[in-house]
Amino acid sequence: MKVLGLSAVDQTRLLRICILGLISIVAIGSRLYSVLRFESVIHEFDPWFNYRTTKYLVHHGFEKFWNWFDESAWYPLGRVVGGTLYPGIMVTSAAIYNALHALNIPVDIRNVCVFLAPGFSALTAIATYQLGKEVKNETAGLLAAAFMGVAPGYISRSVAGSYDNEGIAIFLLVLTFWLWLRAVRVGSAMSAAVCALSYFYMVSAWGGYVFIINLIPLHVCVLLAMGRFSNRLYVAYSTFYALGTLASMQIPFVGFQPTFTSEHMAALGAFGLIQVVAAAYYVRARVTAVQFRTFVACAAVLVAALLACVLVVLSMRGAVAPWTGRFYSLWDTAYAKVHIPIIASVSEHQPTAWPNFFFDLNVLIWLFPAGIYFSFRELSDNHVFLILYSVFAAYFAGVMVRLILTLTPIVCVLAGVAVANVFEAYLSHSPGPGVAQVPRAAIMGALLFLLCSFQWHSSWITSTAYSSPSVVLASRGPDGSHHIIDDFREAYYWLRRNTEPHERVLSWWDYGYQLAGMADRPTLVDNNTWNNTHIATVGRIMASDEDTAYDLARRHDVDYVLVVFGAMLGYSGDDINKFLWMIRIAQGVYPNDVREQDFFNSAGEYAIGDTASKAMRESLLHKLCYYRFGDVMGAQAFDRVRKQRLPSSVTLHNFEEAYTTENWMVRIYRVKDLDNLGRSHKNAAQFDST
Amino acid sequence: MKPNWQAFATLLLSALAFSGTTDAVEGGLVHTNAIRTIDLRSLPAVTEQIGVVVQNVRDSKAIKTFTVYIPHTKADRLAKVTVHERKSGAELQVSKMDNEHLKTPLSPQPIEYRATFLQPLQPGEKISLNIDCVYLNTIEPRPKVVEQTGDQTWLWKDDARLLWAYPIHKEKTVVRTNGEIKSYSQIKESSKDGKSVTFGPFIGGESPNAPVEVRFRDNREQLEAMTHRREYFVSHWSNDLNILEHYALRNRAPALDAFDKVKQTMSRFMKARDNFVKTLLVKVPADAREMYVVDEIGNVSTSSVTSRQRLNGDAFKVMQLKPRYPLAGQWNYTWWHGYSVPLSNYLRVNRNHHALRVPFIGSIVGSASQNEEIPLTAINTYNTAVSKYELRITLPEGATNVDVRVPFDVDSIRQRPQSYYFDSSGRTVVVVEHANVAPSAVDAHVLVTYDYSMLSLWQKPLVIAFVVFALFALTSLGSRMQLGLAAKPALTAKKTQ
Repeated sequence: MKVLGLSAVDQTRLLRICILGLISIVAIGSRLYSVLRFESVIHEFDPWFNYRTTKYLVHHGFEKFWNWFDESAWYPLGRVVGGTLYPGIMVTSAAIYNALHALNIPVDIRNVCVFLAPGFSALTAIATYQLGKEVKNETAGLLAAAFMGVAPGYISRSVAGSYDNEGIAIFLLVLTFWLWLRAVRVGSAMSAAVCALSYFYMVSAWGGYVFIINLIPLHVCVLLAMGRFSNRLYVAYSTFYALGTLASMQIPFVGFQPTFTSEHMAALGAFGLIQVVAAAYYVRARVTAVQFRTFVACAAVLVAALLACVLVVLSMRGAVAPWTGRFYSLWDTAYAKVHIPIIASVSEHQPTAWPNFFFDLNVLIWLFPAGIYFSFRELSDNHVFLILYSVFAAYFAGVMVRLILTLTPIVCVLAGVAVANVFEAYLSHSPGPGVAQVPRAAIMGALLFLLCSFQWHSSWITSTAYSSPSVVLASRGPDGSHHIIDDFREAYYWLRRNTEPHERVLSWWDYGYQLAGMADRPTLVDNNTWNNTHIATVGRIMASDEDTAYDLARRHDVDYVLVVFGAMLGYSGDDINKFLWMIRIAQGVYPNDVREQDFFNSAGEYAIGDTASKAMRESLLHKLCYYRFGDVMGAQAFDRVRKQRLPSSVTLHNFEEAYTTENWMVRIYRVKDLDNLGRSHKNAAQFDST
Repeated sequence: MKPNWQAFATLLLSALAFSGTTDAVEGGLVHTNAIRTIDLRSLPAVTEQIGVVVQNVRDSKAIKTFTVYIPHTKADRLAKVTVHERKSGAELQVSKMDNEHLKTPLSPQPIEYRATFLQPLQPGEKISLNIDCVYLNTIEPRPKVVEQTGDQTWLWKDDARLLWAYPIHKEKTVVRTNGEIKSYSQIKESSKDGKSVTFGPFIGGESPNAPVEVRFRDNREQLEAMTHRREYFVSHWSNDLNILEHYALRNRAPALDAFDKVKQTMSRFMKARDNFVKTLLVKVPADAREMYVVDEIGNVSTSSVTSRQRLNGDAFKVMQLKPRYPLAGQWNYTWWHGYSVPLSNYLRVNRNHHALRVPFIGSIVGSASQNEEIPLTAINTYNTAVSKYELRITLPEGATNVDVRVPFDVDSIRQRPQSYYFDSSGRTVVVVEHANVAPSAVDAHVLVTYDYSMLSLWQKPLVIAFVVFALFALTSLGSRMQLGLAAKPALTAKKTQ
């Protein structure tokens, strides 16, 4: 039957394109809640760094960007920005920006950055369709794309304004895997080369590329172990590894790592292994079985001995890098807490609580095992890959909250496969009486209901949980009115406009990128937590008594100290609640000066009021937060976060209030100059008052 | 000893310069009496009105022009000079004389303005003239630093003897303020009367210099727009005139001695006065729509707009902008806001000929009031002086024969090409620059005339349609081309299981 003059095949093709288009629109649309609720603004912390570097790239060009030494970060150390970042996202945005400007569309770079992740989510949906089509058929592809478009696990990292590496990296992850599976199936060097290109883009975009460079070799090894060596596999992997590794080394941040770090050794080993196996297959085709057995035995001993020697030599010369802490914490969840507080202090590095899986994946979480089951039933080369991907991604997602992100694509694909199988079974045309169709209709109806509820759940999660910029907060009044709480930007903009551009601002590292991006002022520490000692020093300043802190702050040329304080509003993510982490990190470096147990009172409580321990009451952070707070709240007032009485008196001599925001959420203090007569500020104040 | 040529040259140059000024001014006039009234009641603008009697003391020749000096110390703050005949009120034509080439670091020259009499002044004849000068931001706070809720005291400082091009017989200076006078220079000729101080009269050549000052209290807001840029975008397609205003603002009040949040919260609660400017009022046309306020880091979400208001037969809306933080003395704030109005209210069309008449500048009023709602009358107060102003008018693509008329002298007017939104041939932007905008310029309008044909209106859709068509054609061509050597194998058929 022809419609619009198209054959049935063309009709379905057109229909598929339309469906994919609709999926893309839904994917983009559901990520715009944050813009509608708030505004087109960069979210959270790391995106502010990406945004700032993108602006630098756009305004100064690629050459300068590559060689940028940012002296305003990590004062006085500075940061070699060009060599310590993944430039993929910045280059992508700058390319889009320049293309639009070439067409005379004067779009703001901020808007390019804000809408980059939603735009790429549409591409991710299309790549997921291709992956689903690769492993099953078009139906599975479309279902997988539809799931991918709205799955909250992915939306959490790609709403408008969430300008982070993951925004484009998930697309590249899916694209690379699709191209890999295609290369393995077809066995063409061309496909593998394109896959290597996509891998290169991925390396330039996100540190998570390590997942790819371990998963693909693992796929190869498992296929070899299953005795499934083929020339297609050999061509695909050899091409991919050679090109991909060479390309990845062009990124300065990666550099020569693929040749010596432990994360990349699996890929190198698999490359060697497949050469050996290929050689063995080549030989076996040309000799008798007995000769072959001798050959294999000799070769195995030789190769093993050679490898062991090389490994020993390299380890002894220190050429093979030890495993990094973040990597350890992937295997042992208690490792970080004990050894590296700075990693453990980040909430997204915590192990996942099980409701999170349901929260982020909803019905997909039980369609996922069904998909694995169907994969086992077919078990082609591609399906082996899917199973491996599921197992590893599921494990990692259980260890670290933020790795649910890498699990989401495979869950969507396998759920697509599962649902497509159900459709196949229940939607095939089979003649029969009307009564026989009733169970079918019931099952399809139930499935449809589940899919609808998934969409419903996703939209709801997106709008309630994942669309807050965290720079701007919102609250609802008792009459349902919408209030915007904008204290962060108030403080940052005050700093930007009313302090000198060279003046240094000290704050806890969480606010470093925002200070650089919004206040445009030099900071001591920021979210690129590369120097633990420096961070510990800031922690020590916060935890020391006022005079020690003043001395340290002056020695570090600090002009302003910024603290975040939630007691007025009940904002629980404030510095007093983060204080224990500051103390722990400081203690790790300065065990003689800062001790965690000093900050608990005799009853063992983490108190802030008059019952607080001496160290707590005298610490700089405590003073800066509660200074004169009681005067405005009244004598009987409570801290609304900690539900404790406020301290009755807080004195401050060496620092003076420079600005406090509307809701007291951000307080900025100026570090006083030294007294003209060399007295301490406390003595000077006493002298002045008498 | 080698002669010091450089010093010699400087000496020669200054001698030349001196002779130059004496040459330029036509002699034969005297000022018999001058009264200067300095109005400090609408700060930060300072209005000086000089009532002067001019007499031709020559024997025979009539005199056509006369020269007004503006001292070089005040010249860069000067916003406006006008000269009127007192009796008839008729305005004299005033032009600025170019004496830039005479300026040297050793002898800074006063700025010369030359006024032309309506009728040449006959020998022996007298005429009364009013010279009005407006200066911006010449008054500074003293003390420079006060408490958050302290009084603002300002210092006016000038020479009580004016700089004249001709001999003067008698002159006096009256300073009028709006608040209590804290102190003034106690010279022989000074006297105080309530809120005003008089210096003089000075007779003839006695005490040629008389530096005087007056310190007075004035707690009203004073702001300086260090830069202000107003942009108009003309769109014929959507009948839309888009207006965008960039500001870099500074509160001129004395600086804070120490920020005190507790006190600030208390005075807000008690509705007591302090020196923070909390609201900025912008008057916009009643049919303005799509208003927004943004600064470098995003929306300023605390702003609001009133409904349509009416005051003295004038319909408008008021945007109440709340800066991210209240502006204490000497604090800065930078932002931009914008809105759209229907173009047809501002554009006259006669076939291809278009005439766009738009306000030269928009005004802004700072308010330190603790109230959420500011009274309507506040909108007509003047308390923000614009130091550097730029006006940009972006005309639609294809506008030709552009002509710009501004009702007073401005520093520069130029036109430059610019490309926006899918432009193929670019459009013209008119750029007007002016330093120190006088308060009266708020009522002035700019007239831009240009030719714009029907074809230009359709230029953009046609270009875009053509490009899209070309893209389709290319894609179509590409998909029909056989690039490989062999026929394309169907990939799906090769799928291995």
